[in-house]
Amino acid sequence: MRGFTASCLDSATSAGATYADVRVTDTRTERLSMRNGTPEGIETASSLGFGVRVVSDGAWGFASSSDLSEGSASTVARQAVAIARASALVCARGVRLADVPAFEDAWSGACDIDPFSVSLEEKLAVLEAADAAMRAQKGVSLALSSMSFLSSAKTFASTEGSFIEQRWVESSAGIVAYAIEGADVFPRSYPNSLGGGCYQAGWEAILGLDLAVHAPRIAEEAVALLEAADCPSGPATLVIGGSQLALQVHESVGHPTELDRVLGDEAAFAGTSFLRLEDLGTLRYGSDLVSVTADATIPGSLGSFGYDDEGVPAQRDFLIRDGLLSGFLTSRESAPAIGRASNGCMRADGWSKTPLVRMTTISLEPGDAGTLDDLIADTDEGLYFDTNSSWSIDDRRLNFQFACEAAWEIKGGKLGRMMRRPNYTGITPVFWGSCDAICSPSEWTVWGLDNCGKGEPMQTAHVAHGAAPARFRGVEAGVGR
Amino acid sequence: MTLSPDEARELAVRAVEIATSAGAGHAEAVVIASEHSLTRFADSRIHQNVSTLDAVVSVRAIDGQRSGVSSTNRTSDESALAECCASAIDAARRAPADPFFPGLPQPRTVTSPDRSVDSTRAFGPRERAQAVAAIIEQSVTRGAKAAGGIAVTDQTVAVANSRGVAVSMPVTTYRATVLSMAPDGGSGWASDTGRDVRALAPAALGDRAATLAARSADPVTLGAGVYPVVLAPEAVASVMEMLGWFGSSAKAVDEGRSFMSGHAGERLMSPSITLVDDALSEHACGLTFDFEGMPKQRVAVVDHGVVGDAVTDSYWAARTGRPNTGHALPAPNAFGPLPMDLALEPGDSTPEAMIASLDRGIYVTRFHYVNIEDPIRAVLTGMTRDGTFLIEGGRLTRPVRNLRFTQSAVEALAAVGGVSAERQLVGEETATLSPYLLLEGFAFTGQTT
Repeated sequence: MRGFTASCLDSATSAGATYADVRVTDTRTERLSMRNGTPEGIETASSLGFGVRVVSDGAWGFASSSDLSEGSASTVARQAVAIARASALVCARGVRLADVPAFEDAWSGACDIDPFSVSLEEKLAVLEAADAAMRAQKGVSLALSSMSFLSSAKTFASTEGSFIEQRWVESSAGIVAYAIEGADVFPRSYPNSLGGGCYQAGWEAILGLDLAVHAPRIAEEAVALLEAADCPSGPATLVIGGSQLALQVHESVGHPTELDRVLGDEAAFAGTSFLRLEDLGTLRYGSDLVSVTADATIPGSLGSFGYDDEGVPAQRDFLIRDGLLSGFLTSRESAPAIGRASNGCMRADGWSKTPLVRMTTISLEPGDAGTLDDLIADTDEGLYFDTNSSWSIDDRRLNFQFACEAAWEIKGGKLGRMMRRPNYTGITPVFWGSCDAICSPSEWTVWGLDNCGKGEPMQTAHVAHGAAPARFRGVEAGVGR
Repeated sequence: MTLSPDEARELAVRAVEIATSAGAGHAEAVVIASEHSLTRFADSRIHQNVSTLDAVVSVRAIDGQRSGVSSTNRTSDESALAECCASAIDAARRAPADPFFPGLPQPRTVTSPDRSVDSTRAFGPRERAQAVAAIIEQSVTRGAKAAGGIAVTDQTVAVANSRGVAVSMPVTTYRATVLSMAPDGGSGWASDTGRDVRALAPAALGDRAATLAARSADPVTLGAGVYPVVLAPEAVASVMEMLGWFGSSAKAVDEGRSFMSGHAGERLMSPSITLVDDALSEHACGLTFDFEGMPKQRVAVVDHGVVGDAVTDSYWAARTGRPNTGHALPAPNAFGPLPMDLALEPGDSTPEAMIASLDRGIYVTRFHYVNIEDPIRAVLTGMTRDGTFLIEGGRLTRPVRNLRFTQSAVEALAAVGGVSAERQLVGEETATLSPYLLLEGFAFTGQTT
């Protein structure tokens, strides 16, 4: 591989690049899905290719190909330089990159049991058991279950002398039971909606989910929603479960703190951010209880790696500390705008895409409110919201609206009746400012998310969010009733 | 350069031969070969400029009523192709049977108009940079900043199966977008898409966005409430895509998860609403066959306000007793059949007449981040952006701070005050042909700060 990457870099510099890096990525995936006891898809895929990113004439160019021949290395590298030169025609300022040391290293993610060594029959048996357990509940008309696996090997080399090899495995699985009757459709998911539980781990992560054990509960809850009352409208005290809070962190902290968005690079597509550079260290993002970190070093998290796609080592950094904005997610190009070194957030969706500033594991740090039961016991009146079903936020990441699969009334410190169609809306800093309790570390869970979309062409990043259930006061719930 | 139609078809046929020779009872291969280039700009400069070349062959092996799929992008490597086929066969042999699987479809006649254009194919990085410069200039000369992109795709798709299907088709598309951001906070948007990039007028596109941005300065706040709205084509496309993508699939209808479920033949919307999927339309940019090689049919999802037909693929056609409308996605497909060439039929109004007819209402250029909260009532939520205005006394008057809506699309489309004759193609590969719409009531439930 060293010969191939060297050939790419030599060709780029010969063509006039002042900086170049190359990534070669070999990815293998497997996906299985089941619907009401019938297999809906069994699929394997492999993708191999490389991308060359260059700076020439002070501007960026990127070209990629699935042809890994020696001739292709040179062709693609020269194409990247030609693209950069075209960029320079409309590029008023030259690209400047924050310094990073050169690394020669290898990194691999944890994986106890290689999921690709587990037989198809064993995997299907797990899905079939969960499927049967969901459909055993009268009133469940649709049972979906799925699992997917990814194995990736990536080599990064740059003209600054880095040569880094990384390998990791990801395993995901989830189940959904639907109760559908007339104009009512109610899903309940485990362990999460949006693809289930996603981990940087092997088959052991799937076994640990015990899908069939949890299937009867979600099936029963889905059916119970048919008879539940609608979530009431108006300001309410909300206790938000960990998985929903993870998505809340994603949309209203993760994306707005991406420094490329703050600088306007994503303005036309995903939007910008309500944050400005001068807000760093001064803007009150939330209550004193709210601290949010970006950490690419958490073992088993979908947001972990050894080095990002610019060769910057994985690290942990504060985005919000005690309620104050204290950092951004950065790259080598954007970090100088805040006078800092890159905190290593540049990642690309495979070999064919150029890296963007992406989330790592962006987490709401745990508090001291005890367990979820303790928090509910401490809440006189409110609503407990669990598991996301819909999400939307404006182009500056201020006005959001989330819907959840289910809610429960809280009265006198106890969970009461179930409520259906719960949703809530708010303005980002007002919402985080209303946080008055966060559960303790024992309730803190890292939730993987394998569908974070950003950029053009659309890139899908695998990220994660640590969160424990937390309480928010005066949140507008039951919107649009 | 990507594969030619002949090369792609030969590769698909070759993959089918390898799979059947290796023991597959039947086999299907889909080849998607593309060269995609995109020049992105922001803060009035090019900040990303990319090109990628790839070809993927996906093989579906059939063993009775069992199937397995495997894909690889090492298409010129015979051993990789063989390995891919073996993997699909292995999965098929070990998979549980699907008693509803109807088998691979028999060949049918496909109309394959040439939808590739050399001028689009040849629109390289320098040409894109020149077009970007012309777009940006319109903002910069007015003190605004511009962001957006120009994308060019040259794609060939081929499908073959062991029953004799062997089709291929090249398609070229371009898409140009521009967001103009004025220093006082106003923003404006314009986009253009099509097959032949010679139709792109970059300066005019840049002017549209910059004019809208200048007009959007100093927005006012507006209380939540139900207002009449005039939706521009981009906003209309967002609503139609939600209805089409999540509601018109025979799978969603059969499962009871669609606004169409249980309402076949019932009038749910205004008679002025006819939503079709029509890949054969002169406006359409995409393929005229689906990913099983079946010809795409024109389907009226909503016909003069009456719930029409769902789109199908071979599986959901057989399962629901409907005709196969040719809307298969690549196998395996847990999503179900999908309309990719939606069009809302035109009316006889104009946007000017719609605005003039309202004493008070809201004009929406486009929506942002639209999502579904209730699939049966098609309750959508999302935000407005890049050109939201108050209509007062029959005129666009003041810009409005971006609003959140939470609204049943079905209910909103039941009271339509006008559909324009003018339509715009919005999107790229799955482009939607959209007119302006006047809706008599649309619920805005919040506002950004």
